Amino acid sequence: MIYADNAATTQLNKVAFEAMIPWLLDEYGNASQPYAFARKPKKALAEARATIAKCINAQPEEIFFTSGGTESDNWAIKGLAFADSDKRTIITSAFEHHAVLHSCYAIERLGYPVVYLIPTAAGIITAESLRNMISDTTRLVSVMFANNEIGTIQPIEELCDVAHSNGALFHTDAVQAIGHVKIDVQKLGVDMLSASAHKFNGPKGIGFLYIRKGTNTIPYADGGAQESSYRAGTENVASIVGMAAALKENCDGMDGHIENIRALEHQLLSALSDAHIPFARNGGDNTLPGLISLSFAGADGEAILHRMDLAGICISTGSACNSENTEISHVLQSISLDEKLAKGTIRISLGQGNTLDDVDKIVCALIKILK
Amino acid sequence: MKKQECKLCFKTPLSKDEIGINKKMLGADVKSFFCLNCLADYLECTEEELLDKIQDFKDEGCTLFK
Repeated sequence: MIYADNAATTQLNKVAFEAMIPWLLDEYGNASQPYAFARKPKKALAEARATIAKCINAQPEEIFFTSGGTESDNWAIKGLAFADSDKRTIITSAFEHHAVLHSCYAIERLGYPVVYLIPTAAGIITAESLRNMISDTTRLVSVMFANNEIGTIQPIEELCDVAHSNGALFHTDAVQAIGHVKIDVQKLGVDMLSASAHKFNGPKGIGFLYIRKGTNTIPYADGGAQESSYRAGTENVASIVGMAAALKENCDGMDGHIENIRALEHQLLSALSDAHIPFARNGGDNTLPGLISLSFAGADGEAILHRMDLAGICISTGSACNSENTEISHVLQSISLDEKLAKGTIRISLGQGNTLDDVDKIVCALIKILK
Repeated sequence: MKKQECKLCFKTPLSKDEIGINKKMLGADVKSFFCLNCLADYLECTEEELLDKIQDFKDEGCTLFK
């Protein structure tokens, strides 16, 4: 099997796996208890928090553990909206992950105005488009760090400046990007940032929300005093430790990983061109390493996915059919991709485990299907 | 509804599952179809693999197989 769907999830890093084991078996104490048996898990949580904070240049007390990206996004959007009754407008983009979009739809139903910025055809939310829509009633701007379908990296620093200069806060869903490209919350200036461990070779079901000190939000879950009383619930120590270990591994080896994955990406695109397979790459050059959205005019993206699956290769698509028609993803619709291209769109996302041999096999399978 | 036949072995009629799996594997706009056996030959896979796929689609609630 060749796994080329690393944007969907990634393989658990072995170092992270091994770091988790003691907390699943022997050291099972509840970190919130006052006895000696809780000391080790308590210390492990503090170390994990510090490790994660260091990876993104934050303070440990600004890291709040969650169950993953979806929870982090829900908290960021709803927590800020509900914490301020004067400024109510949220600005986001039309091609956010559903965790952000559906959170926005939910607050819209409660009467909060939401503005959806449209990306350019190249998949970028420009500072100009934000400037045109922002006002003194804007509470929050939420734009993803990198798009999960086409990989485009957004000008977060610039967008953040626009938000702040208009008195709004800024959240970025960095789920797809963190651990794969450098992220420095001080340099970016973001007030909140969402992350999910399984996207950076950590365990599933764990993530975090970075909340800049002083940001006025409300607790996501009420109950115990965990996470400074902002997110109640007994901590998942093993997963939190695994997440921190995975993020550190990815950040420590980032330059090498990027170089390797970019080389694979180049090989894949060159081989397709050499085989005279006509394709368009969505998102252009400023994309996440290894995330390749390709459109083949006249082809059927879902059929390509299933035939690749028969060949033992896992990829993803941007469209799916039902009995009546083909449903094109909201991301491809938002960049106004021509319907013929959109229907023939696939996403190949290469990761640390992929090799040149994998790429050759992927290209061979594609050629066989498309020729 | 017109009865469909396999474009290779002329087996007829083709079941809803056979027509559905053709659309899923060859494209939603496909107008002529293979029976399961000929489709497996064409795709160089086994009938079992296609039956597994059909079950996956049914489990997802795909209306092509209802």
